[in-house]
Amino acid sequence: MMQRNVVIAGYARSPFTFAHKGEMVKLRPDEMAAQVVRGLLERSGVDPKDVEDLIVGCAFPEGEQGLNVARLIGFLAELPIAVAGTTVNRFCGSSMQAIHMAAGSIQMDAGEAFLCAGIESMSRVPMAGFNPLLHPGLAERFPAAYISMGETAENVARRHQITRARQEELAVESHRKAAAAQGAGKLKDEIVAMQLNGATVDADGCIRADTSLEALAGLKPAFATDGSVTAATSSPLTDGASAVLVTSEDYAKAHGLKPLARIRSIAVAGCDPDVMGMGPVAATNKALKRAGLTVKDLDIVELNEAFAAQALACADELGLDLEKANLDGGALALGHPLGATGARITGKAAALLQREGKQFALATQCIGGGQGIATILEAA
Amino acid sequence: MAINQAAVIGAGVMGAGIAAHLANAGVPVLLLDIVPPGAPGGADDRSALARGAIARMLKADPAPFMWKRAANLVTPGNLEDDFDKLAGCDWIVEAVLEDPKVKRDLYQRLEKVRKDGSVVSSNTSTLPLKLLTEGLPERFARDFLITHFFNPPRYMALLELVAGEKTRPEAVAEIAAFGDRVLGKAIVHCKDTPGFVANRIGSFWLQCAAVEALERGITVEDADAVLGRPLGIPKTGVFGLLDLVGLDLMPKVDASLAATLPPDDAYHALRRPFPLLDKLIAEGYTGRKGKGGFYRLNRADGGKVKEAVDLKTGDYAPAAKVSLGSVSAARHGGAKALVAHGDRGGLYAWAVMSQVLAYAASLVPEIADDIPAVDRALRTGYNWKFGPFELLDKLGAKDVAQRLTDEGRDVPPLLQKAAETEGFYRVKDGRLQYLTVDGGYANVERAEGVLLLSDVKLQGAPLAKNGSASLWDIGDGVVCLEVHTKMNTMDPEVFKIMAKALEIVPKGHKALVVYNEGTHFSAGANLGLAMFAANVGAWPTIEDMVAEGQKVYTALKRAPFPVVAAPSGLALGGGCEILLASDAVQAHAESYIGLVEAGVGVVPAWGGCKELLARYAADPRRPKGPMPPVAAAFETIGLAKVAKSAYEAKELGFLRAGDQITFNRERLLADAKQRALELVEGYQPPAPVDLFLPGPSGKASLAFALRDLHAKGQATEHDMVVATTLAEVLTGGAKADFTEPTSEDAILKMERAAFMRLVKTPGTLARVEHMLETGKPLRN
Repeated sequence: MMQRNVVIAGYARSPFTFAHKGEMVKLRPDEMAAQVVRGLLERSGVDPKDVEDLIVGCAFPEGEQGLNVARLIGFLAELPIAVAGTTVNRFCGSSMQAIHMAAGSIQMDAGEAFLCAGIESMSRVPMAGFNPLLHPGLAERFPAAYISMGETAENVARRHQITRARQEELAVESHRKAAAAQGAGKLKDEIVAMQLNGATVDADGCIRADTSLEALAGLKPAFATDGSVTAATSSPLTDGASAVLVTSEDYAKAHGLKPLARIRSIAVAGCDPDVMGMGPVAATNKALKRAGLTVKDLDIVELNEAFAAQALACADELGLDLEKANLDGGALALGHPLGATGARITGKAAALLQREGKQFALATQCIGGGQGIATILEAA
Repeated sequence: MAINQAAVIGAGVMGAGIAAHLANAGVPVLLLDIVPPGAPGGADDRSALARGAIARMLKADPAPFMWKRAANLVTPGNLEDDFDKLAGCDWIVEAVLEDPKVKRDLYQRLEKVRKDGSVVSSNTSTLPLKLLTEGLPERFARDFLITHFFNPPRYMALLELVAGEKTRPEAVAEIAAFGDRVLGKAIVHCKDTPGFVANRIGSFWLQCAAVEALERGITVEDADAVLGRPLGIPKTGVFGLLDLVGLDLMPKVDASLAATLPPDDAYHALRRPFPLLDKLIAEGYTGRKGKGGFYRLNRADGGKVKEAVDLKTGDYAPAAKVSLGSVSAARHGGAKALVAHGDRGGLYAWAVMSQVLAYAASLVPEIADDIPAVDRALRTGYNWKFGPFELLDKLGAKDVAQRLTDEGRDVPPLLQKAAETEGFYRVKDGRLQYLTVDGGYANVERAEGVLLLSDVKLQGAPLAKNGSASLWDIGDGVVCLEVHTKMNTMDPEVFKIMAKALEIVPKGHKALVVYNEGTHFSAGANLGLAMFAANVGAWPTIEDMVAEGQKVYTALKRAPFPVVAAPSGLALGGGCEILLASDAVQAHAESYIGLVEAGVGVVPAWGGCKELLARYAADPRRPKGPMPPVAAAFETIGLAKVAKSAYEAKELGFLRAGDQITFNRERLLADAKQRALELVEGYQPPAPVDLFLPGPSGKASLAFALRDLHAKGQATEHDMVVATTLAEVLTGGAKADFTEPTSEDAILKMERAAFMRLVKTPGTLARVEHMLETGKPLRN
């Protein structure tokens, strides 16, 4: 069978706002995602009839983001009834996984166009869900299976000697870049304004333009009394949705779409759950190898900042140049609505390749339970 | 006219506090203040004073709001943009500067907008009504009165009302009824005289106590020890109270009284320079709101030392422990023993109180129609346990009159009358009576809907009684179970009376109300007993106490008659569990309810775990599935959360949505009785419910949550032990699975086993001991 090229042909997302106190607390996640999907359809110009499947990533698919929420988002977005819908869960890697599934299907000649979305309302569905019921035997034998994310960040910081000062520098830098991008209107193109009870939410809400090293130094550790990780060096609980349009390159060309980037390679990998933040290392190495590239070839990097400690340790291990990473800010500043992050960073990496006129990009993130996921993109 | 919308003008401490309390009572209220000078045109900033006051109150402790959501009923505004909105208000309370011109100008403006029949009242504490209505139209004078709240308005029960000659009687009656029933205030009708009632006597008392202390060389610590607890006065005494209200208030009150009191008033003789007070105020020692006052906390070198000022030198030194024979004597002999004692404390107490009480006796009927009004004012405005005339009866009106005579001092005529008859109060034919100004006795009348157990007790013997509890017939077939131990804690003797109630009520009675007139409904189980048993290793005694409590609480729940609990003040631990076991709760708004067992290292074992789980499981607002009720109960019990009002108790599930709240403490028993009678017809005891608990899977989830709390430093070593045991109980134990019901009895068994396991741990015993010694939880 012939190898078919897969492209990212569009990217959009909702504003990202604080869970519990932000402007989208009262916006249902299914509705949020539907508005993003509609926005993406309009912007990309794809004919909805050609879409094979709506693949939606979600880390805690219950409550308002439960059932098969992808199918429901399809109805809400008024996709043609023939467009299918599936929900996928790889925790924080869920919507990047959605992209990978689309890519795989296209290469299997099982469709030409896919909508790959991600959602998480951390206001409306708590982390761990409404009914956390752990396997008591596993909890006893292998407690790392259920370890809290904050604890993994502390483990990473300790084992990889990531000082609190470095973590805080990254956080301040992330906010600075995000605020600059926001100020320069660079985030506008990707954001679909949300309509909520007659009000419009059209800007990210987590960015703190005025943060400083001095302010951060005063915070108490968030997860361990003797720890180095604070609320400021952890991504905030966030509400948000994102979506990318994934098509075959042939389809994009034939239908006048404007591809942002071509998918060069993908990978997932497991790692020790008690240092789940290191997941990107193995996944990235695999993806680079599959792409026939090295870290030095990368021009653009979207490295998810679940925690500053974890992002820095991964960058150190991989030898990533932080100057090339998260040009418009990372999750420390923008927020991390779990299921929605994968599509955001993949779509963002693709958009940046085009905006910056570069060759290769990496989007990678860590995943609770001990995994990493990575996507290598090249200029289309 | 009903009061459906109120307004408060003036968002200072008093005005804002009054607005908050109106909101507590469910009344929408407009809070207005001036547009701050220099405010830009933006509408938001123009109401900054009122808005800021609301924001501050949401953070204040003690909280002016009974629950956060009450704040939504307070609409902030300003006197320029929002003045017309006053047209929609039924009651407008003015709480602006104590300046007659400012007030009258405001009233003139008000007359242009307010609707006919609306009532305007001033919260003035110093200005006479006559002065306030000068030059104002007839309509205003008819609709105007003084409503004098005490600070803080939520917590102080007294509301003094002063009507003018022209005030419509209906307006007074309306505000009195609203203040009484809706706001829960103790209404005292005052004459239009300086300081009205409470402050007239209270200020005299403060002044007299300060002057006598200075002149007799009594220290601040001694003065407060003498003029506090032994007299049934809050332990802040005199100087502690001045610190609390603010030292800078004193010269203002003094100047106002000096200017307005009649020239022959005894107060004038007490006035003299108080250079130390002026110096303290000048240096910022204005009391607790400032750097300190007569007392201060010295935090030098990281410590926290309570210091008291030397009244002679003005220097601070660590507060001395008071050792006075008079104070010791009062512990058993009360106020009478205090003033009879010959040491400096006793002589000081007599010097002050004889002047104050004689002063009070000379002021009726000048300041109020009768002596119960004066007593009520001091009880509810100054938190005195006894009003001046009740104190005089404690000291013996005859003895006081005699001692005054012996000392060559005047005896006020009313005191003379009391000395010649049966004192200021007497009980006649089961009724409490008071001495009238003409020397006769009249019944102390209770308002309709007020029922006091203290009145019931005058009418006859209890149905049953032992050292810890009693059963009283409160009429209409309702029996009242009264606990009367120290802090009304639960002990085996209480259980005996509960068992007795189970016997007695079905024979000729209809319902049971659990209620007492102590400060607190119940502080929980008698820890002292448990500690004593633990010290001698009498574990079976402890287990019996647990089992007995479970048995009797369950029996009350399953009894063939309705049980209504009526808490006020603390209802903690075993006290809270009584509420949970009752068919209904009629709660005083100021109820402080919680399952605080974890604080002393145990789990609720008189059905508290079981009942809270069942409540949470039945709450339709919670997500479905086995974990939400368990996780919520784990949080509420594990963190020993205490609801700081009846409203918060509803939010936490200690009260059901249908449980009712009474604002006026004196109406609580009657309301509870009414509630019980409503439940009588067709009463069916609640059937046991099955719970579907998650078992070990749920316990594993809670264990992880707990681990994170421990890492964050939010759970101590022994917290982990207690919470792990609690998790075991709440998830239903090792064999539970959510496909199978867990019975109430099974949970009770687990509660008991968990309690026994914990009570034998050194960590728990240390907590119990610490609580008994200090009254505070130990964080071990």
